Amino acid sequence: MTSALREPAAAPTRRGGPGRAGGRSVMARWDARTGLLFALPTFLLFLAFRFGPAIAGVGLSFFDYDISGSLEWEGLANFERMVGDPVFWQALRVTVLYTLLAVPLSLGLSLVMALAVRRRFRGVGFFRSVFFLPVITSLVLAGTVFVWVFSTDGPVSTVSQWLGGSGQSWLSSSLLVVPALVLVGVWSRFGYGMLILLAGLQEVPRELEEAALTDGAGPLARFRYIVLPHLKPSLFFLAVIETTASFQVFDLIFVMTQGGPARGSYTLVYMLYDQGFKYVDYGYAAAIGVALFAMTLVVAVVQRRFLGRES
Amino acid sequence: MSAPTAQVTAPPAVPTTSAGPHRRPYRALEPTRRGKVLRGLLLAAGSLLTIFPFYAMVVIALRPETAIDFPSSLLPWNLDTSAFRDVLAGQDMLRWTLNSVIYSVVSVVAVLVMASMAGYAFAKKRFPGREAMFWSFLAMVMVPYHVTLIPTFIVMAKLGGVDTYWGLILPSLANAQAVFLMRQFIKGLPDELFEAAKIDGAGEWRTFATIVLPLCKPVLATLGTFVFLWHWNDFLWPLIIGKSADMWTLTVGIASLRQQQVPLSVVLAGSVVALVPIFAAYAVAQRSFQEGVAQTGIKG
Repeated sequence: MTSALREPAAAPTRRGGPGRAGGRSVMARWDARTGLLFALPTFLLFLAFRFGPAIAGVGLSFFDYDISGSLEWEGLANFERMVGDPVFWQALRVTVLYTLLAVPLSLGLSLVMALAVRRRFRGVGFFRSVFFLPVITSLVLAGTVFVWVFSTDGPVSTVSQWLGGSGQSWLSSSLLVVPALVLVGVWSRFGYGMLILLAGLQEVPRELEEAALTDGAGPLARFRYIVLPHLKPSLFFLAVIETTASFQVFDLIFVMTQGGPARGSYTLVYMLYDQGFKYVDYGYAAAIGVALFAMTLVVAVVQRRFLGRES
Repeated sequence: MSAPTAQVTAPPAVPTTSAGPHRRPYRALEPTRRGKVLRGLLLAAGSLLTIFPFYAMVVIALRPETAIDFPSSLLPWNLDTSAFRDVLAGQDMLRWTLNSVIYSVVSVVAVLVMASMAGYAFAKKRFPGREAMFWSFLAMVMVPYHVTLIPTFIVMAKLGGVDTYWGLILPSLANAQAVFLMRQFIKGLPDELFEAAKIDGAGEWRTFATIVLPLCKPVLATLGTFVFLWHWNDFLWPLIIGKSADMWTLTVGIASLRQQQVPLSVVLAGSVVALVPIFAAYAVAQRSFQEGVAQTGIKG
């Protein structure tokens, strides 16, 4: 560490400063020393609890490891097992289905609500605050009441019975359990998207909209040709955030369904948790983590593609 | 709720806009009468659906009977606080609250101190390895938390950190978003301030304590609230690391109540109690909350 501190390489790039003769290199050395010292606690913490475990997590997926400490090289065995495991495919199917339903719904609702509270009017602050309440609420805490909401005695089945439906509990139907979880997920997240898009709407130049208005463009045309193009970066950012969050849905599942009924709501992270902490099969759990990582990377690459043009 | 003062100064002739006298009126782009009615209906429906679960939570928590029917059970009469008494009298609930407080408060202090130090270093200092360190922080944002979960747990198990406070707290302090936020803010502070301090003979620690930290107060307040929220609401790590009920946080404890056959009203009473600090914090700081999210994209 001390050898790194003596390195004067950074000195000439230091800009500004009072031009005292010889003062610069001393200052640069002090800068280097304090810089390193100030960044080090956080960096060490990252090394121990993020980089290290991330690399170990990928590495572990090639091993068989149990709590007794026996570590055995397995090569691709964990991944081969994964590919042949119907439970994995079920978890992947549920995760993708959840994402495909939740992301467009959440984005759409966020957009509609952001547009609705875009202009100032009496009470606008109230609505913005209310829509953000679920975002700061833990889904573990809210999940309990949603279990009741979707139960046979709850509002959803009661209202559907009034409308002539069967009135069954959504959470015990393998067909309706994912839509029910999606609704809860959207409830808990759309306020966040609304605020992000609201910030994006600030970027829309008012002059342009007023000009379009005087040219006779209706609200839909103004949205399509003026608002939407300016909103694109925020929408993409949000789409990526929402997609990765949906890939990783867990709290909600744990509290509301435990993956049931009959693995109807069994997601990848839930499977990772099960394999790691119920069956104590660390290598296999790590392999599921790698699959999740790969999915996230694909989303990141797609995002790059689209955002590369913007910026 | 937002900007009531602007409301007062607005000319009474245009009561529908809250724009102050110096701003150009929005009237040209104001929605039509029909648009306003539609917007009103949409917002009313949206906020009813948003608030409904909270309402149901509180009313059911106040119902001693086990059969909860819709809609009769949601009518606000024949209420009873026995579930709250049950939940608050339990030793467990007190312990879980204490654990949540320890987890959140210690983490807030530690993250604020470390993130502002690192943010200062990355924003204003040149040192060997700076770029590499910073890019590795950025890269880690792409790696899902769950990839690191199993190895972190194994390391903690080896070090004897399972079922301890330090095992609970330490891994969660590696917070990349906090470092980014602090770096971004400190970058905006003028270099001249730090150079002047140096000329006056202030050491680095003094510069940091007397110049950087006081200037960072607003961003520290926002970040502190978010970190508090993250930890108060955190679930998976406390679930994994806390083996005995004594080490559970509120979220883990209340989830366990739900797994056992505890009456719904008692579980919900616990949830309501656990939500109080969050809603209180939001009531005090909702403006900076919303602005914080809008500017930085970080989330509660």
